[in-house]
Amino acid sequence: MADYIEGIRVAAYGLGTTLTVTAGALIIGLVIGLLIALGKMSKFKILRWPASVYVEIVRGTPLFVQILILAYGLPYLIKDITNGAVTFNWSPIVIAGVIACGLNSGAYLAEIIRSGIQAVNKGQTEAARSLGMSHIQNMRYIILPQAFKVILPAMANEFVTLIKETSILSYIGIVEITREGILWASRAFKFFPAYIGVAVVYLCLTIPLSRVVAYLEKRMSNSNAIPKHKKRKAGI
Amino acid sequence: MIEIKNLEKRFGEVEVLKGITETIHDNEVVCVIGPSGSGKSTFLRCLNRLEEPTEGEIYLDGKLIEEKTINETRTHMGMVFQQFNLFPHKSVLENIMLAPMKVKNIGREEAEKTARELLVKVGLSDKADYYPSELSGGQQQRVAIARALAMQPGVMLFDEPTSALDPEMVGEVLEVMKELAENGMTMVIVTHEMGFAREAADRVFFMDQGYVMEQGTPDQIFNNPQNERTKSFLSKVL
Repeated sequence: MADYIEGIRVAAYGLGTTLTVTAGALIIGLVIGLLIALGKMSKFKILRWPASVYVEIVRGTPLFVQILILAYGLPYLIKDITNGAVTFNWSPIVIAGVIACGLNSGAYLAEIIRSGIQAVNKGQTEAARSLGMSHIQNMRYIILPQAFKVILPAMANEFVTLIKETSILSYIGIVEITREGILWASRAFKFFPAYIGVAVVYLCLTIPLSRVVAYLEKRMSNSNAIPKHKKRKAGI
Repeated sequence: MIEIKNLEKRFGEVEVLKGITETIHDNEVVCVIGPSGSGKSTFLRCLNRLEEPTEGEIYLDGKLIEEKTINETRTHMGMVFQQFNLFPHKSVLENIMLAPMKVKNIGREEAEKTARELLVKVGLSDKADYYPSELSGGQQQRVAIARALAMQPGVMLFDEPTSALDPEMVGEVLEVMKELAENGMTMVIVTHEMGFAREAADRVFFMDQGYVMEQGTPDQIFNNPQNERTKSFLSKVL
């Protein structure tokens, strides 16, 4: 039993890194996702086409391969095309990990964001535009705030997925939850308790978050309007 | 003044408007009536380019309405929709203040002052901090009118403003519109409320099959229609 508790304790050292990497990736993913979503819905083919290609490529290849290309492939590419004049290395390597996960997540979030935007009634855009608002003002003040509420559960879900997927970053030497477990396992020869400890720590993150997702989904289906506490606040 | 010259609109193969040339004068109230599918709403939506005309030109006060200056043009043409289209994530006051602040860069205090005055005008001064979902249909539509008026437009477009309302709420909305008309607002109103058209309109357009088939004063159209289609339509609805 002590071994298992030790396994959990060791894996928990990686919590901070896992959460930081996940949060960083989610932020990058949201920015990329929003741009790709708007690109895919653009009336200009020149924007729609690259956005679709991006989504196809990212969703059609394993995250692991994407990480390898970005973390280990890219420095060699830069060295080659500059004939060795430029030496580029990820330092620390965790930056490559965050960016890779963010770029990956962006492709999935793009579809979520797009569906959210399209779920907002077309009359909202017509009302906003008829008041003289530009396309960008309409998106910013009218459509995105409403879309955000619709996609919040799906986004929280993506956060849960992302937490688990970052375990793959242990391969490129980022010492997050999984890597802590691997290191301890080979150091102490406690393979089973080590990996069980890793699993338990992930569960401690994902179970509460899944509850949050379930709650958000329930609240979404109960009312598509305003949460009670926001109603009739004093003034503006 | 709105001048419409040879306006045509096609959706793919379907011809919805087949050449409309009309002039709507300042301070004039024009009601557009006609059977569903006659192109009334499309006609109205072409005026502020929510629908892009296929052919023809529209001038507002002598200036061509075109895509590149459309945002500016729309600040002079308020629009009220059948489904109200209030912003559900914003309070009544915020709904009214948003466009003046963001589009016209009017300060918050002044925008709020104007918004509160408009709420008094539409009889909803006690609802400023409510959200649209807490209001009845009639109240929502009156807020929508206030929201459009907040931009101080020269023209107001109404797209079947009472068609989505419960019967007992139609009156309160028409009342607000009547007051606007009496105060000299230029208005184009697509409506099925024949009583309102008869009472408030300066001119009535009868539309059918993509044409303005007949137009004239309410008295001419309702009491002495010349066109066979007008006669048959009115005999069904009056």
